[in-house]
Amino acid sequence: MEFDWVTFGLQAVNVLVLLAILRHFLFRPIVAIIAKRQEETEAAMDKAAKAQTEAEAAAEEARLAAAQTHDARADALSQAATEGEAQRKALISSAHKEATDIIEAARTQALQIKEDAVADTLRRARDLAEAIARRALSELPAPPDTALFATRLGKALDAMSKTARDGLFGGENLRIVSARALTAAELEGIRAVLTPLGVKDPGTEVDPDLIAGLDLRSSSGVVRNSLAHSLTQISEALHNDDRPGA
Amino acid sequence: MTDTPFTLIEAFRLWGQPISWTVLTTWGIMLFLGLGSALISRRLNVRPGRLQVFLELFVVTIEDQITSTLPGPPDRFRALIGTLFLFILTANWCSLIPGIDPPTAHLETDAALAGIVFVATIGFGIRSQGLGGYLRAFARPNWAMIPLNLIEQVTRILSLMVRLFGNVMSGVFVVGIVLSLAGLLVPIPLMALDLLTGAVQAYIFAILALVFIASAVEGAHSERTPSA
Repeated sequence: MEFDWVTFGLQAVNVLVLLAILRHFLFRPIVAIIAKRQEETEAAMDKAAKAQTEAEAAAEEARLAAAQTHDARADALSQAATEGEAQRKALISSAHKEATDIIEAARTQALQIKEDAVADTLRRARDLAEAIARRALSELPAPPDTALFATRLGKALDAMSKTARDGLFGGENLRIVSARALTAAELEGIRAVLTPLGVKDPGTEVDPDLIAGLDLRSSSGVVRNSLAHSLTQISEALHNDDRPGA
Repeated sequence: MTDTPFTLIEAFRLWGQPISWTVLTTWGIMLFLGLGSALISRRLNVRPGRLQVFLELFVVTIEDQITSTLPGPPDRFRALIGTLFLFILTANWCSLIPGIDPPTAHLETDAALAGIVFVATIGFGIRSQGLGGYLRAFARPNWAMIPLNLIEQVTRILSLMVRLFGNVMSGVFVVGIVLSLAGLLVPIPLMALDLLTGAVQAYIFAILALVFIASAVEGAHSERTPSA
């Protein structure tokens, strides 16, 4: 066995050259690419972390927005409920007022209708009573007793105060008004009743509208004592009677 | 080409100097590894392919071995340890090519590798501790240990060389003998075993070189020297 120093030296140089070659063409590029990948990975991780942070921030923002939306929705619902309740109350109040007005109008209208009906009925009753009275008196076989009306006229004059009586007697054209022409006897009977009461030389006048009875009239006033006046009073009394059911 | 690893066969002469087949084979290995590395390094991408993944795994494994042995960044030792491993592995596996003897089956190649490790050990030791510090490390634990430490420096390099030479040479011998005695296909299992032996020896050589350098860098020669 021999040891070749030339081969030993060549092999040593070969290994050193191979060391340089592999250092340049193999180890450095691979280490560089590993480092580059690590840098890119770290950059990607940083980017991912940043994206995660942004995503978390966006999620938080979205959560806040959702919460705000929820609150706004709740507020809107509450406000809508409040407004709806107010509108409902307003509508109910308006409807109630309208119904009250309608009821009041209907009641007023009904009352008016009732009053009109009552008035119409009274008017018709008065007219009917007056017509009946007139017809009854006109168809009486004998005229009413003039002395009775003269007595009532005397009582009416006697019930008046002296001032009122003097005012009546002081007027011009003092006259006795009757429904028909008086006979001399009837006129004498009437004067016999009135003269003691201060009636001096009254004139006479015929007014068929009196139906029956005697009025004492002057330019200063009148004392009514006729059946027409009584019917008028009755009619006015009936007309002015506002008792329920009248 | 040759019948025994103990003799070098001249392939040709260059400037009057004989160039052996061992050197020629080594150049072939250099060409293969250099071209392969150049081609691969051109195609390196951030998104690696299978071959790139394998090479990155190889580099990362070497760095892990260095980091687990030596403190600090593995940059200074990566290329040396990686080149030793790749060259020895490729050289050992050359025996699979018919007619080619592995360069590591010749003592000159192993001696050159061991010599490089020896020089690297001294160089890294002096660089890390300074010349005085490196020399003072031989006097540990006391001055009486200087001769023993010096002898250890030489013997462990010799053991590194002889271990690689003996394993690879014996494999070549066994395969050659079995091939000559039994026939063409019989040595195949032995050749497969030779593959495993070659890989293991490459790993052992590289790791021992790393440990020797680490002991020189840390100044703890005798304590860190493993027994392989």
